Amino acid sequence: MSILYDEGQQAIATESRRALEARVSKEDLLPLLQTSGQYHDGFWTTAKEQGWTALALPEAYGGLDLGLVELGLIAHQAGRTLSGAPFLTSSFGAAKAIEIYGSDAQKARWLPGLASGETIGAIAFASGPDALPATPSVTWKADRVEGTAPGVSGGLFADVAILFAQDSGTRTLLIVDLAGIERRAVDSFDNSRCIADLLFAGTPAEALVTGDAARAAALHVLSLQAVVTAHEQTGGAEALMEIARDYALTRKAFGQPIGAFQSIKHRIAELYGLVELARANAIHAAACEGQDDFVTAAAAARLSATEAYDTAARDCIQIHGGIGVTWEIGLHLHMRRARTLALEQGSSFFWEDILVDRLAGDAA
Amino acid sequence: MTDLESYRAKAAAWCESMVPTFGKAARKGLSVEKDLALGRRYQKAKFDAGFAGINWPVEYGGQGLGHIEKITFEAEEMKHGFPNVYFGISLGMPVPVLMQFGSDREFVKERVVKALKGEEIWCQLFSEPSGGTDLAGLRTRAETDGNGWKINGQKVWTSWAQYSDYGVIVVRTDPTVAKHKGLTYFWVDMKAPGVTVRPIKLAGGDSHVNEVFFDDVKVSDDHRMSPVGGGFAVALATLMIERYVATDSAGFGPHLDLFVDLAKEVRLNGRPAIEDGRIRQQIARNHAMRAGLDSINRRARLMMQAGMTPGPEGSLNKLVAVRSRQKLSELALDLQGTDAFLFDEHASPKDDWASSWINAPTGRIAGGSDETLLNTIAERILGLPQDHRPDKGVPFNQIPA
Repeated sequence: MSILYDEGQQAIATESRRALEARVSKEDLLPLLQTSGQYHDGFWTTAKEQGWTALALPEAYGGLDLGLVELGLIAHQAGRTLSGAPFLTSSFGAAKAIEIYGSDAQKARWLPGLASGETIGAIAFASGPDALPATPSVTWKADRVEGTAPGVSGGLFADVAILFAQDSGTRTLLIVDLAGIERRAVDSFDNSRCIADLLFAGTPAEALVTGDAARAAALHVLSLQAVVTAHEQTGGAEALMEIARDYALTRKAFGQPIGAFQSIKHRIAELYGLVELARANAIHAAACEGQDDFVTAAAAARLSATEAYDTAARDCIQIHGGIGVTWEIGLHLHMRRARTLALEQGSSFFWEDILVDRLAGDAA
Repeated sequence: MTDLESYRAKAAAWCESMVPTFGKAARKGLSVEKDLALGRRYQKAKFDAGFAGINWPVEYGGQGLGHIEKITFEAEEMKHGFPNVYFGISLGMPVPVLMQFGSDREFVKERVVKALKGEEIWCQLFSEPSGGTDLAGLRTRAETDGNGWKINGQKVWTSWAQYSDYGVIVVRTDPTVAKHKGLTYFWVDMKAPGVTVRPIKLAGGDSHVNEVFFDDVKVSDDHRMSPVGGGFAVALATLMIERYVATDSAGFGPHLDLFVDLAKEVRLNGRPAIEDGRIRQQIARNHAMRAGLDSINRRARLMMQAGMTPGPEGSLNKLVAVRSRQKLSELALDLQGTDAFLFDEHASPKDDWASSWINAPTGRIAGGSDETLLNTIAERILGLPQDHRPDKGVPFNQIPA
């Protein structure tokens, strides 16, 4: 896959941007922050209508047979406009886990719904700071799971989850039907993510991968998601850089636009650098899907995207001065989202370790 | 195999075959003069093999190929540490500008071919003691002298001037108009009477840059390469030539693999440094940064291959790569502790951390300082306003010194 977008891919970018800019606004997103357990329906309806949920899934199950590059383009635009739900990434991760590691029966059962968007998927691997715990908090015995999967993005509405669990120390990748399970909503600083603790009590589950291969499989799924998220983060950072630039051109102080002061213009130029590095790494990683160095590329994409979005959020607000910290202007939506995306799919600590293990030649 | 892939393979094979004669091992311990002599032989070999002037017209001794072939070759060449540094400026800017703007075409042709063969070297006389970034503020002047001109003044930071046969120079021909309107562009004979070259020893110990003094240096009017008063445009054209050269995400310092190797060797608090979180974080961050630059450069090459103009993000390479090389080099010395004190002034910044560290400030200043590059990104790419410039539109001779 080339790192140069073709015409069809550029059309996906233009069309998704147009659709999202028309359907998502900060006026819709601000109230969601203070409401626990609601996502932005306009965003998710648009995603389903436009076929984004089906984009990177196989045609045999209602997908469009495109890949990470195309989904990345959508995610980039979703990042620009602050997507109102985490499902595009979480359902994609769940669907890929089933597509790669599932049986024909599991694929037939779940993939068509995930492709149409009628079914929502979630990934529940992490436990606190551990994106892929050595000892998962959920246990699996005799085809049933026990325990709590904490802080699952989209968990409040997911129909199916991919779990990282253990059976007396043997790690396993599982698929669980979430119908009827208990969910505890997490009132978070970014409430449209619909984060929940999933409480399992003898819930039936099926194994996808068991034993040593389970961790590698989970890491692969996480890497796929990380590349989608890296695009979303890059989109958010890019939007913030542009907002900062536009503000610096119009806001005047001491008789000139504040963008004429080097302390401001250099800060924005530095953001440009971070955004372009993040974009380059994200595009490269998406094009590497299926290659040996995919996880390495995903880790690099993830690290530079997190740095770009966090820094852009920090600096864009700083450049705005007082108005930047108001509820109304909504820059805090990006600031919140930057942190949320930094924590979903594993923090920078996690990806730094993944990367260095590979560079030093001792990847597990 | 595509045409470009087979070109790369051919270039790689040729470079490989040159290693015994011109590679790092062959150069080790040579004085600058001997290394330059070896460099001239290398440049001649390159010319004979058809790898000099790759994207230059055939009638000027070039190969008539595209920019993409040129940077493909350079990417291969860069792996081996050949003695080509003496010709980088010469063939990078002054000679292409001579090709474009020189008036006596027979003379131009002779010079270009000799430069391509490494027989002659050209330098670029732009920066002055009063300023480098503010190029249009230069003070060296040329006054009419009979049918020609007489140059007086001083240039500085001129790379390889001590070995140069010719140079291109921007001088002030009219101090009564706004600063960038009173400049004219010439070429000069560096061996002409009145030209004095004095090498400047840099912090790292080497002396590739010089001060160049002009005392009543006479040049005829056919040395002029721009309209009188039109020199600034040609100077800008010089600086814009080939924005996309084969870039190096290591910032012309050591490869990150060398840092990883060092971190595996050295022990911190009784365990390998590679297990220390502080070190791991720096490795990961540096890798991500370099991988991003590599990807930007790869995309630029693909765009050129497809006949498109690469995006402006290529301008990030020097800014981002060199300053992080500086910090990584400091960290590499930290890792070695007292073992880092031993210093070899002749070591290469590409594989020695102390050499990389002590020469890094030069990299952050030469060819556009970090601050100038940030201004360029802000103004040219993002459309932010220029800095306040009190000398704007003021005749040069009325600008307070």
